[in-house]
Amino acid sequence: MTAIGLNGLVLERQGFRLGPISLELASGSRTALVGPSGSGKSTLLRCIAGLDEPSSGEVRFGGECVSGGRRRSVPPDQRGIGFVFQRGALWPHMTAVQHLRFVEPSIDRDRALELLHRVGLGRELAERRPHALSGGEAQRLALARALAPAPSVLLLDEPLASVDAHLRAELALLVRRLAEDGGLTLVVVTHDREEALTMADRIAVLNEGRLVDHGEAAAMLRAPATAATAAFLNRATCLAVEANGNGGVSTPFGDGPRPAGDGPWSLVLLPGDLEPAREAGVMARVLRCEPDAVGYRVHAAFDGHSVEFGSSNSIRPGDEVRLAPRGALRILPREGGRSV
Amino acid sequence: MRRARADSLWLLAAVAFVLAFVAAPLGCMALEIVWTGGRLDLTPLGTILGDEHDRRQLLTTVALGVTGTLIATLLGLGHAWVTFRTDLFAARALGAAGVVPLVLPPILVAMAFSDLFDTRGFAACAALLGLCYAPFVAVLAARGLRAISGEAYEAALVARGRAAAERWLLRAILPEVAAGALFAFAFVISEHGVPEFLTVKGKSWHTYAEGIFAKWTRRATGVDHAALASPIVAALPLVALLAVALLVALRLRGRATIEGDHRPLPMRRLGRLRHVALALPLGYLGCGVVLPLVVMGRWAGGSTNRATGVSLERMLESFRLAVTEASGDLGHTLLVGVAATGVLLLVAAPLAWNAARRWPWIDHLSIAPVAVPAVLLGIGMVRAYNRDLFYGFYDHGAILVAAYAARFLPFGVLTLSAAVRRVPRELEEAALFAGRGQFARAVRIHLPLFAPALGSAGCLAMVLALRELDVAVVLPAGNGTVVRRLSNIVHFGGEEMGGALALLLVLAATVVPLLAVILTGRKLRSLS
Repeated sequence: MTAIGLNGLVLERQGFRLGPISLELASGSRTALVGPSGSGKSTLLRCIAGLDEPSSGEVRFGGECVSGGRRRSVPPDQRGIGFVFQRGALWPHMTAVQHLRFVEPSIDRDRALELLHRVGLGRELAERRPHALSGGEAQRLALARALAPAPSVLLLDEPLASVDAHLRAELALLVRRLAEDGGLTLVVVTHDREEALTMADRIAVLNEGRLVDHGEAAAMLRAPATAATAAFLNRATCLAVEANGNGGVSTPFGDGPRPAGDGPWSLVLLPGDLEPAREAGVMARVLRCEPDAVGYRVHAAFDGHSVEFGSSNSIRPGDEVRLAPRGALRILPREGGRSV
Repeated sequence: MRRARADSLWLLAAVAFVLAFVAAPLGCMALEIVWTGGRLDLTPLGTILGDEHDRRQLLTTVALGVTGTLIATLLGLGHAWVTFRTDLFAARALGAAGVVPLVLPPILVAMAFSDLFDTRGFAACAALLGLCYAPFVAVLAARGLRAISGEAYEAALVARGRAAAERWLLRAILPEVAAGALFAFAFVISEHGVPEFLTVKGKSWHTYAEGIFAKWTRRATGVDHAALASPIVAALPLVALLAVALLVALRLRGRATIEGDHRPLPMRRLGRLRHVALALPLGYLGCGVVLPLVVMGRWAGGSTNRATGVSLERMLESFRLAVTEASGDLGHTLLVGVAATGVLLLVAAPLAWNAARRWPWIDHLSIAPVAVPAVLLGIGMVRAYNRDLFYGFYDHGAILVAAYAARFLPFGVLTLSAAVRRVPRELEEAALFAGRGQFARAVRIHLPLFAPALGSAGCLAMVLALRELDVAVVLPAGNGTVVRRLSNIVHFGGEEMGGALALLLVLAATVVPLLAVILTGRKLRSLS
């Protein structure tokens, strides 16, 4: 069953255009909206939440249109959602328990304490105000506040961005566990690959306001469909390539196969796609060399592009090395530019 | 949707207030210039700066403004510097007290100085006005010093040495100091009460505000339309100058925002000068607060001409007289002050919220009531509401409430919009997800978030309303205010009761902000 449906959603504001985006998120699914800064991830999430009103298109919750269409927009508190803001957005004058009881007046103190316990906040923090909480504790409270009204959809806008690095993995797992336990439909905005893969099963990649790829995270990891997806999920290096007159594309490593469609295309180099070579290939300058389990991981640069390859020998930074692809060249659409 | 509708209605009500009590009076003044005998007549516009008399008054006003502002800047910046930057004895309390001279009506300070010294001439007038409006500079300079990161100062210190670091610091707080100075300038050149009071003592020069008031009061004795239109036209360059000054002040103040928590500036140790340096804040507060209060106390005690000593019985008698004879005026003043504050906050809140969240230009438009000299705004109110249709309103204290709220609206809008900008939008948005009504959200979320700013704006409005004279002298309802009664003492005597009344007024104006601070549990520093 579809929990959230977006149908041709467009938002235009101050020279920025989001969409048109069409997307269906199944009930109980966990989706990460990823992409570079300014790609429209948070704006899309705010449209779903009802904090921003789309210029055109529809947002549907369980089949009911809540934004766009003929009827007036349904206010955020009537959409059955919980929302976690990037910096918590906790109210400085309220204690932890007061936060929960304000958003859900029906819960008593015991239930509030139980909810705080579920997000990892002890009883001793129940009467503290936000300024007396650490960054991680504050974000746990923000999570508890979002869960207090028992929503069916949980929206999180870069929830771990303001949390110390060592706490992020723990909090990401907590979010996932809470979503699984409660059967929640989860949509999380993040620009961190690890967080996305920990919290979500599905990934939606946005670039310059467009949804460029969307699917199962595991499948997208194995076979990214676009250069933008590969760059985010696989940490690939992407080089713009042009069609040549031979029905293929020209790359620094020679001609490659021309994919279907009109382009633009990118040569996608995943970590390990290149190896040192004696003759053909490109010359790259070594930036740094780190030992790993099987030898050395070498970071090098050519033509302003950073690449990574494995080596059995240590190479000094500054040395030049010739690199060639291990197998067939991977040419992908730069971003697809399509509504999914 | 209900929330949006209620918000829109509130904003519409605020806009209606501004149209009725700012735009309509000013529109009437504009009509005064160009509407003669039932037809449009643009000839008065051609007389801008053409009248030698008006031109001289304007130049005198600007010169008074510049001199008074320089004195205000020296006093205010000096006070802020030594109390916030050094290990001066009792620096914290003295720093917070920097705002207190604003509580005393300038006319009262002028009367006190006039009692003690031969306070005549341009320089004395400029010095008195500089003293009275120095709090604007003191408060904003202190705000600037609080906003500077200690680390940034130390970086300059390490790189270039002490002298260069101090110069860097002065440059860093310059926007705030300049903003304070420009606010002081706006008030000094609008002042009518003090220059007029000094006229009584034999002054031979006049400011613009005095000139127009004099013509206004002589209307009934033969001053015709042209004679009244002429000074209004002459005011246009002054109003333009004021508007530009205030816009610059606004921009400068906007550039110097306090962001986040940071280490405060390191204190400078004064060493052996620690006690000597007390002379500046004590001199400033002594002249601006203590001396006028002492003189008023002495008057209340029966020593109006210093020939007789102060007597406790006469003092008690003066207070008894003040309470019995002027309790109506005192009550009227307080009631008008409280009502004007309430109206101001109700009008300023939606304007400020929209200025901060949607339309920043509201901040700039809101300064109009301060850009126009108070006397002119008062005359505009008379022109707009002295009609049969508004008969009940025109004679009622309600017109004074509206005039004060309109006059001081900029301070409410600017204070509140700055506060709204400091509160992240997400804090308000987070409340939208709670299944609570608009009233619950307003009371439980918005009010606590903005309460400190509402308190500050309310205190400032209350204090300014209690001491406002220039609007009160024009409007009939102003006859019943304490400040008006005090200014009448100049003409009709009665210093003993006047002294007691002045002390009661200052007490009322001081108690309100103090109560607000105590009840909200805020630090004393927040007064400034």
